[in-house]
Amino acid sequence: MNMAPILEAKSVHKTFRLGRVDVPVLHGVDLAVEKGECVAVFGASGSGKSTLLHLLGGLDRPDKSPEATITFDGKDITRAGVRELDQYRGRRVGFVFQFYHLLPELTVLENTLIAPMVALGRFGYAKQSGALRERASGLLDTMGLSHRLKHRPVELSGGERQRVAIARALVNEPTLLLADEPTGNLDQATGASILDALMRVRTELDQTMVLVTHDNATAERADRVVHLADGVFETPAA
Amino acid sequence: MYQSLLTRRYLFSKVMPLLAALAVALSVAMVVVVWSVMGGFLNMLLGQGRGLIGDVAINYPVGSGGLAHYEELVDRLEADPAIDKATPTIETLALIAMPGGSSKPVQVIGIDPDGFHAVTGFHDRLYWAPIDTPVKGDTDGDDLRLDMDDRFVVAGESMRETDPDTGLDRPAVVPGIHVYGKNRRMAGGYYLVYDWFLPREEVTISVPIITRGGALAKMESRRFPVANEFKSGLFEADANWVYMPLGELQSMLLWDRGRRLDSGEETGAFMITEDGEEIWIEREVGDSPARVTNILMKAAPGVNEHECERAAEAVYRAFAQDHPNADEVPPPKTASGDLRDIWTWDKKPGLAVFIAAVRKETTLVLVLFSFISLTAVFLIFSIFWAIVSEKTKDIGILRALGATRSGVAWLFLRYGLALGLTGSGLGLGLAYLIVTNINLIHDWMGSALGVEIWNAETYYFTEIPNAVDPMHAGIVFTGGVVFSALGAFAPALRAALMDPVRALRFE
Repeated sequence: MNMAPILEAKSVHKTFRLGRVDVPVLHGVDLAVEKGECVAVFGASGSGKSTLLHLLGGLDRPDKSPEATITFDGKDITRAGVRELDQYRGRRVGFVFQFYHLLPELTVLENTLIAPMVALGRFGYAKQSGALRERASGLLDTMGLSHRLKHRPVELSGGERQRVAIARALVNEPTLLLADEPTGNLDQATGASILDALMRVRTELDQTMVLVTHDNATAERADRVVHLADGVFETPAA
Repeated sequence: MYQSLLTRRYLFSKVMPLLAALAVALSVAMVVVVWSVMGGFLNMLLGQGRGLIGDVAINYPVGSGGLAHYEELVDRLEADPAIDKATPTIETLALIAMPGGSSKPVQVIGIDPDGFHAVTGFHDRLYWAPIDTPVKGDTDGDDLRLDMDDRFVVAGESMRETDPDTGLDRPAVVPGIHVYGKNRRMAGGYYLVYDWFLPREEVTISVPIITRGGALAKMESRRFPVANEFKSGLFEADANWVYMPLGELQSMLLWDRGRRLDSGEETGAFMITEDGEEIWIEREVGDSPARVTNILMKAAPGVNEHECERAAEAVYRAFAQDHPNADEVPPPKTASGDLRDIWTWDKKPGLAVFIAAVRKETTLVLVLFSFISLTAVFLIFSIFWAIVSEKTKDIGILRALGATRSGVAWLFLRYGLALGLTGSGLGLGLAYLIVTNINLIHDWMGSALGVEIWNAETYYFTEIPNAVDPMHAGIVFTGGVVFSALGAFAPALRAALMDPVRALRFE
């Protein structure tokens, strides 16, 4: 892994304002992730893991500072415009959340296809709708959900919901996968099988992944583990 | 793309948006019903007013001594290319005595039936004419017209009836359908007759003979058979007007053609009769021409009433110049305002004021109801505010998937538009059902609940207007959709500006 990192965070601070009180969450985090690498950010609850993930995914911005940068594929996303960030999230990043975050009114297949619908827009999606449906169905089949395509999230188990969320994260074939406690809401056996499926597909697609977890077993599945405590990495991050 | 999918799913997944659509539907229906009824009322008023008096009228009331040489004026008017037909009439107050002894004041209108029909379509207003199928609401086939031959039509059109006893042809009158108070209008608009069927009876018409100074000289009474009854739909006319042959009314008013006598000492002379009696003979000094109070005109095809009015004024000026005797042909007073004696149908004194009042009332009611309907905007706003709160997590998910702020705003605006379209569509359908059946509904309310909202004496018409104007419906529909979108605008903006991280963490 001697190439330049595809994702690199430098001097990232993040402070939330709760009422009149400033609550610093990240205190100058540095992180570099190589292309195709899977990095587990390991830490206790409240250590700032999810905040870091949101910053890496362009959902949030770090505190303003000349030193703070988050570079993805050579572009500093902290200085990107709102539209650029939207495109970054839509086309380059796939999110997997602890609580699945599926849209309750949509079926399994629609929940998967909503990602390309959002990312490509009406005409972009319409042009490729056949291929996208095929890809979504294939992914759901890989996840063992081919018999559940028309079911609503409420009709699925927790594990099945998370598989749908993974399929949604992968369907746009993003370069970067960001998983926030993907097995945190599942029992051990289900969590393990979900992680197996996620890792398998990720490896097949050669995707870079940052995995946030407080579970040792999950962290051990990554290529590298970094420990985040009170907003700073305890071990060298790169 | 995702907006249309989510809009469809959101629309029918919860009760709340359907309630919002219902609110829009009720508001749209309310405004369409009000506009249809009040606008229809105005249109009926304009249509019937025109139908009853033609496009343009020349008027010199009874107290003014009326207008002589009217046959010549009619010929001259009809010779003008802007005027299709003209017909003379007399309008005056009278008393009608009904079979059974009741009597009431009415306005009698002396007409030449054919000429009056040519200008106003009089024949079409004769009520007792045979029909083949029962009208809507006549489920038992009670309508007398179902088993009727056309004898009353023939009598009504000619305003003459053959006396069954003597076989003599007699002049007959045509009162409005509500002049006799016991003709009862049923649901659907047909009439049941109680006590007396007027076209088989006789009535007595008593006319006051007024001097030129306006004083009552005497009452002249004559008995006439009733040829038919007319129904204009304008309650004022149907309850108070009686048509009779022009010649009969002229005769009763002493306005028919006669000799003019002079009883002065210089022109009269004593004469000895065969019995040796000495009497004073008035000397005949000329003709007294027949008179009328009105000339009604119908504009030529393609000519509007104002052009017709200008043509009538020009013809009348020339006519008055040729007849300088002001006692016979009053000089035109067309200079200003209310003194005009030539007017278009909508400027007829009384009617013009009423039409203006109805116009204002229609606008006022429409504005008031539109303001009331604005509550739907606030309802949509409140419901959408709640929906956006409920869908906070969805907004966070969509933003995480790359949805733009404008995309999220459009999702909720589109949702508002969809609600507006659904609600406005439902409202139009509901309004159409109500308006087209409004008379049946009203009749049912009257019989079942004892509620009478539409009083014919107040609103002039016996039937509530029951047609939806497509243009009005279109405007209200568009308003419903636009207002719904307006109601959704602020919540959509709130959704667009939501912090995606907070939205994802929303519980």
